Amino acid sequence: MPADALLEVRGLTKHYEGLLALGGVDFDVARGEIFGVIGPNGAGKTTLFSCLVGAVTPTSGTIRFRGDRIDGLPNYKVVARGLVRTHQIVRPFRDMTVEQNVSVGAHFGAGRRRREDAGRRVAEILEKTGLARKADALAGTLTIGELKRLEIARALATEPETLCLDEVMGGLNPSEIMEAMKLILSIRDSGVTILMIEHHVHAVVGVSDRILVLNFGKPIAQGPPSAVMKDPEVISAYLGEE
Amino acid sequence: MKELTAILVNSLLAAGLYATMSYGLAVIYGVMRIINLAHAGVLMLGAYATFTLNSRFGIDPFLSLAAVIPVFFGFGVLLYRTMVRRLPRSQAGPSIESLLLLFGVWLVLQNLAYAIWGGDTQSILTSYTMKSVSLFGVRVGVPSVAVFAVSAASLLVLQLILRRTYLGRAIRAVTQNRDAALISGVNADRISAVAFGIGTAFAGAAGTLLATMYAFTPDFGRSFLLKSFCIIVLAGMESVAGVAAGAFLLALLESVVGGYTTLPTSFQDALSFTLLVVALVAFPQGLLGAFGRVTSRHRSIP
Amino acid sequence: MRQGRRWIRLLAIEAGALVFLLAAPRFLERGTLNDIWNVAFAVILASAWNLLGGFAGQVSIGYSAFIGIGAYTTALLALKGVNPYATLPLAALLAAAFSFVVGLPTFRLRGPYFTIATIGVSEAVRVIAGGVSFTGGSSGLRMPAGSFDFNSNYAAMVILAVGVVALAAWVKASPFGQALAAIRQDIDAAEALGVNSTKYKLLVHALSAAIVAVAGSLFAINFQYISPGSVFDFRLSLSIVLMPIVGGLGTIAGPVLGALLVGYLQIKLLSSPGLRDSYLFIYGGMLIAVMLFEPKGLLGLLLRLRRFLWRFPSRPVPDAG
Repeated sequence: MPADALLEVRGLTKHYEGLLALGGVDFDVARGEIFGVIGPNGAGKTTLFSCLVGAVTPTSGTIRFRGDRIDGLPNYKVVARGLVRTHQIVRPFRDMTVEQNVSVGAHFGAGRRRREDAGRRVAEILEKTGLARKADALAGTLTIGELKRLEIARALATEPETLCLDEVMGGLNPSEIMEAMKLILSIRDSGVTILMIEHHVHAVVGVSDRILVLNFGKPIAQGPPSAVMKDPEVISAYLGEE
Repeated sequence: MKELTAILVNSLLAAGLYATMSYGLAVIYGVMRIINLAHAGVLMLGAYATFTLNSRFGIDPFLSLAAVIPVFFGFGVLLYRTMVRRLPRSQAGPSIESLLLLFGVWLVLQNLAYAIWGGDTQSILTSYTMKSVSLFGVRVGVPSVAVFAVSAASLLVLQLILRRTYLGRAIRAVTQNRDAALISGVNADRISAVAFGIGTAFAGAAGTLLATMYAFTPDFGRSFLLKSFCIIVLAGMESVAGVAAGAFLLALLESVVGGYTTLPTSFQDALSFTLLVVALVAFPQGLLGAFGRVTSRHRSIP
Repeated sequence: MRQGRRWIRLLAIEAGALVFLLAAPRFLERGTLNDIWNVAFAVILASAWNLLGGFAGQVSIGYSAFIGIGAYTTALLALKGVNPYATLPLAALLAAAFSFVVGLPTFRLRGPYFTIATIGVSEAVRVIAGGVSFTGGSSGLRMPAGSFDFNSNYAAMVILAVGVVALAAWVKASPFGQALAAIRQDIDAAEALGVNSTKYKLLVHALSAAIVAVAGSLFAINFQYISPGSVFDFRLSLSIVLMPIVGGLGTIAGPVLGALLVGYLQIKLLSSPGLRDSYLFIYGGMLIAVMLFEPKGLLGLLLRLRRFLWRFPSRPVPDAG
């Protein structure tokens, strides 16, 4: 474990009225890593992200981001500190244009103090995510692939240090997946640490530096992809799902 | 001690009526996640219908229930088919459009009442309105007892319907988990229509019962509506028993405040309003169970 | 810059309206000026409410409380000898404070639950105001004689009306307005992007409450007599909600259109005895019609018409000004 991990999670647990969504998850994420989170359906991956960003209050456990505890903080405060996530089921502001959607992130995220060049930052991000041509289109008119990119663009606009991507490749065709992987790598190269939940195991294995595998809310393996994917528990967890 | 008994007995009697009144609101919300503000208008209409049957045809209010219940059931189904069904379905819980639509219906019903019956306060007087009876050593009005008996009976019948009939089980299923119920083959449209019918029928019946005990004007649905909200917010609506318990709680609170303080009755209304706000805000989970996404702190998975 | 042109157009309309309305006392009769006063009052209420209800999507059916706060603050202080117009800032402040007290617990509720809570709060306020003695109880208060000058009151009203519409346009285009729009559409997604939704809801609530209170103060000055029935009335809360909804929720022109329509209707209704008692029918009918057929109100209807006439059915027309 790196000594000065950017993100430190210890004993993260979440109960929902008798259902255990997360049962004591521990992991660290180092600055500049791409950290994958995989597991069968219902393993608690999205719940993990929800806890990280403060959309959901954990039942117990601690989360440290850049050395400070953030568990229990509301979502908007966590975003202000530089940790943001995208949603597995996209949540665009349908009555606003693509540009307006991204601009919300620019004006209220971690980069909100730099209001003056918000417009420029938004334009750059639209360029980067391939949405520049659709800048004035209403979000409600976009295709699913474009909506996924919008989710990423909005999150990027908040100027995060760490970006949590929740199944951004869901529902994409193979060439779109390639594009998405390139985008993710370029985001990492620009200095953003990335956590990604993904069902497309090959995609995650391809880009991640380390992977965490969850099953029924509990971590069953953690480490470099090559090691994790050979772990017998991991294999049986996935096979058991078939 | 005598006072305490009096308070308990009066609360119990009032609770029956409150429960009947609230259940109409609860079933519509449970099945369709719609907040039916027209409930107040239907309460009022039930009262006036009973009044007319009584003053024009001499029919005893309790007997008129036999007519009120089916007619109002039909009215509810009609309301659903002509208007509610056309609303855009909102994915994330109750919509403001349904709220405002039914609000509009309430206003129209009020105006209808003003037009037909005028704005004067009306009441129903029967041979037994003024009589009283001794219950556990407490003197209570005969109407109160009769109302309680009818309410209790209606809730028992309702409980039977919910447990023993297909329709009842379908209603419970949709209330608990709409998607699962739909997948299991429940016809959402038919269940919604029936639920709306039942809700309206209960409201109409409650109006009849209210008319035997209180004087009424076209405006009188409002405070009862707020009391009903208070009750279902406190109690959730998955069980008839829950609504009954909530009704008793509110009735008890009102009796205690009325019995031990000198606040005028209008302030008691303010009390239920405040309690409503407090209940909405302070009980996001636990007591509210099926009320789902009432506050921002409650989130379901994930 | 499309935005630039829209601003110029808006400012031109506003300036023109202001000039016309301020000059009106010279050539219009008192009766018509009264009508204009009433419509201006309606425009202020509708536009201010729209900030919270239309922009932020939080429908409150309890705004008569703020009118009451404004009216009573002014009346009570005027009776103590204070210049009525000097009481306006205090009225605004008190209303903002009250909106904060109400908002803090109730903004935790979502959508219709918030709405119901506001009904509860406003009813409670009405009952209490009628029962407490220092407000004159249910018999109300009369303003001190000589405190009334129609011309200055009229001018204040007109300026406020034009000002509120301009303010609304400015808010809508600002980041603040974007936050409100985000909150309205998807509050969780907004929070997920760093928007502190509670803070903004409270802010816009306070702003609109303050404006409404000032209108209430001007009302008290104009009508010289207020009572809980006249200013804390549920029906008043109702018409305030109706105007922006009928005109076009969340737009700039919508509340104005709604105010004109409902204001006009109100005048017509009150003057013909046969229709006077039918206002509930009409309000209710309008709500039903709007919800069933055109949730975007009059403005939505007009936009649909425009799109149909221009025959660009596939191009989405962005939110009108």
